[in-house]
Amino acid sequence: MAATEPKGHGQHAGLWVFPDVTAMSRDVSEKTRSTPRPMLMALVATGILFILGIVGFVARAVGDGFDDISAWGYYLAVFSMVFMVTSGAPLAAVAFRFTKSHWRRPLSRVSELFAIVGILNFLMFIPLMFMLPSIGNPEAVGGVIEGGLAVRKTIWFEGPIGAPHAWNVVGVGGLVVTSLFILWLSAMPDMAESRHTATGFKRTLYNKLSGNWYGTKKQWNAQKAGLALLGAFYFMTLIFMHFTISSDYAQSLIPGWKDSIFPVIYTITSLHMGFGAVLVTLFILRRFGGYDGYIGKSTFWSGSKVMLGITLLWIYHLFAFFITFWYGRLEVEQNIIKYLITDTYAIIFVLNLAFSFALPFAVLIWNPVRRSDWGPALAGGLLIIGGIMFNIRIFVGSANAAPGSHIYDYLFEHVPSPVFPDVWDVFMVIGGLAAAAFVYMLATRLLPVLSLWEVKEGALYQKWGRLHRGEYLILGKPE
Amino acid sequence: MQEGTPLQARQINRELLVSILNSPKWFFGAVSICAIGVLIAMATAGFMINQGFGVTGLNRPVMWGFFITNFVFWIGISHAGVMLSAILRLSKAEWRRPATRAAEILTVFSLMTAMTMPLIHTGRPWRTVYWIYTLPFVPYDYARGIWPNIRTPLVWDPSAVYTYLTSSILFVVIALVPDFAVLRDRTTGISHRIYGMLAMGWQGNPRQWKLQIIAGVLLSALILPVFVSVHSIVSWDFGMAVSVKSWHSTIFAPYFVVGAVHSGVSAVAFVLIILRYIYSWQNYIRHEHIDALARLLIVVATGWFYFFVMEVIFGFYGREADEIAVRDYQFMISPWNIWMMIFVGVTYFAPVAIWLSKSARRNLWIMSLACILVNIGMWLERFLIIVPGLARKQLLTFDWYTYTPSAVEWIIIIGTFFLVTMLMLMIARVVPLIPLYDIKEGEILRTEIKVGRVTVPATFRED
Repeated sequence: MAATEPKGHGQHAGLWVFPDVTAMSRDVSEKTRSTPRPMLMALVATGILFILGIVGFVARAVGDGFDDISAWGYYLAVFSMVFMVTSGAPLAAVAFRFTKSHWRRPLSRVSELFAIVGILNFLMFIPLMFMLPSIGNPEAVGGVIEGGLAVRKTIWFEGPIGAPHAWNVVGVGGLVVTSLFILWLSAMPDMAESRHTATGFKRTLYNKLSGNWYGTKKQWNAQKAGLALLGAFYFMTLIFMHFTISSDYAQSLIPGWKDSIFPVIYTITSLHMGFGAVLVTLFILRRFGGYDGYIGKSTFWSGSKVMLGITLLWIYHLFAFFITFWYGRLEVEQNIIKYLITDTYAIIFVLNLAFSFALPFAVLIWNPVRRSDWGPALAGGLLIIGGIMFNIRIFVGSANAAPGSHIYDYLFEHVPSPVFPDVWDVFMVIGGLAAAAFVYMLATRLLPVLSLWEVKEGALYQKWGRLHRGEYLILGKPE
Repeated sequence: MQEGTPLQARQINRELLVSILNSPKWFFGAVSICAIGVLIAMATAGFMINQGFGVTGLNRPVMWGFFITNFVFWIGISHAGVMLSAILRLSKAEWRRPATRAAEILTVFSLMTAMTMPLIHTGRPWRTVYWIYTLPFVPYDYARGIWPNIRTPLVWDPSAVYTYLTSSILFVVIALVPDFAVLRDRTTGISHRIYGMLAMGWQGNPRQWKLQIIAGVLLSALILPVFVSVHSIVSWDFGMAVSVKSWHSTIFAPYFVVGAVHSGVSAVAFVLIILRYIYSWQNYIRHEHIDALARLLIVVATGWFYFFVMEVIFGFYGREADEIAVRDYQFMISPWNIWMMIFVGVTYFAPVAIWLSKSARRNLWIMSLACILVNIGMWLERFLIIVPGLARKQLLTFDWYTYTPSAVEWIIIIGTFFLVTMLMLMIARVVPLIPLYDIKEGEILRTEIKVGRVTVPATFRED
């Protein structure tokens, strides 16, 4: 079993843990093998909701078909919610591995496992491909039309072949594949270690996926370089895909909406949701999963500071958007503000603001709360709710802003009414979120939820040392 | 292994106070050259004020040119101070220690220099009193709502900049108190008395240290919103103007802030290299510090490039003829397109290519070159935002020209660089440009641990 930090180290109390690396692999493997009753119940519950989501999807498809995106606003929103989490979460492992932060070690695998949920997300994306209206206005004859645009405003301009549909599919798929590669490369040493003790399907899987890993210096160097390269590629793909999804499925569906900061806001909200989900998962593992000996509060404390920073970035970017449109007094911009912020979706916006900024900020501003495990997890939960509100506001709004051929209008002249969810929408939203949780829980049965090699490596770099009259933590910083 | 040799407190005092207690031979010559440059620029500004704007290249509709470009540039440089000092202090980055003081002081001087630009640009600087005060003898009456118009970013701007200047000075002074006490104890006569006053009774007891640390952390946290607001508001000088195509962009605020950090941190890296060379501070400004700054700059530069790409793409996205015309001007028409290529090349591609190599990051000549390139590029960036937008023929514009800066503008702009250099040299004579106590603390906290057969650098963590 792992040892928690001994008492008597003053301000360090509970922050850092000193795992027993000799017993760690066995302990974590046992935890991965067993499925405790609460988890089983959670799997059943999310599984049932997942089925309800499928029912909602089928009912919507039978009733409305895939031609008109306005019927699919809530589905689009739930796709984006899951997309934000599954794309944002692995970035936590990638980014803090780059910065060589020791506190990230327990969260690496927790965040990388969201890559498996990405497969579900990719499947959810396929129907959306058929719903997105074409760039060219079908009513335009010879490239000319009166009172509208022959080619609507998109980031693809005159439309490279297959844009936006094919490129979006390639992009979303590429993002999922890259994150899976990162997970595979990162988990390889752990799978190699477990391949002898595992049984059945897991043994076959670990044998196949860990290849010829024996932990030679060359292999470790190759793994390190591979993770760095894949991480950089993942980051660039993520930024690009957030740009395309937020533009194609939100901005370009509202005529006249030209907002260069929106892709940035979308990415920041994704970081909110992804990192929030990671912290909530870590809290559950620490409090209820028996991982308290491996996950110290330093992970929450440092993570909370990052989250506070992201929260402030979110409000700053939102304000930069708002004040530029509000001050400009252009009719189209005023109408967009009315539609997405002050009139049509005002209530959702207020909830979005509260959960994405005000409440998490009020939680994270306090140092004692940041030093706890529940505080950052609470903030993470609030940010996930905020992200859900953001996606409903933006994507339900966008899908219903300009029905039919109005999508090719030059300006946004009328502010539409809000679209409330019907029962199928509710099923799809809840089912989509439950499906993500269901797949994630299944993934934790497949691979250890803790990156064993990283936590063990971290243990080598920390020790206690005397300085003057006190005893303090010493952290090594490898090049 | 840790880089550099362990340093004793006595040695730190002796070596870091060398710029104050002993004047190198070159010092007065260098200051004199800078002073001459500043005097020439002042005389030129006086000539311009006497003769009017006809002696500049400014015209209708390009009414903002070199002066406003230079204003934005120096505001940008000022963002290094808070970026390095406050953010890295809050994040407890160990490598920040030698860089903070120079960065903070550069912030103060670049802000002061920046604020001279709008004054000169008014052409009648004394009339700026109308912007600030309502005096009985001033003919404009604020109550009539004629002037100043507080609803314009042009008035928010000085408010933000002066708030930033005030808080930056406070930030520098608070951090200087322990070092003033060291100087008080090592000087005599009038210097001793002045440093004694500035040290405010500092004895270095635990309570004073605790208060100093709390003040530093609080100021770091409080100055961050000011830091962000300053360049955001500068960007809104442009972003709020719907009539100038290419300016009305929602991304301008973060784009300007990140750009400012990019140029500011590059400038600080360059200043540190110069300080290392002229004062032989090899033990303090080590290759690892410049290396860390370069790695930080890769992230900042990439963030900046992302914002730049967004700004350009959404310029085209709107498919508005007026805006496309400006973009056409920027990207297709000579000489603007050549400047644009140079700007992107020297601001992002060349320096990042350099910084990706560890050996280049640790070569001070190459690092100096990269940092200078970034700042040339960032100056060009502001120029390419301001001038093509104004120069292009637009709706309701009855007159349009391009812009060619005159010798008057060149001299004044070059003078501002002399001014900042002169101020930095002069301040180095009275305050240590590397914080003594911060270096001493770093020396106490740094240690090593053995991992297997390897010894790795390590740090004592207070939390």
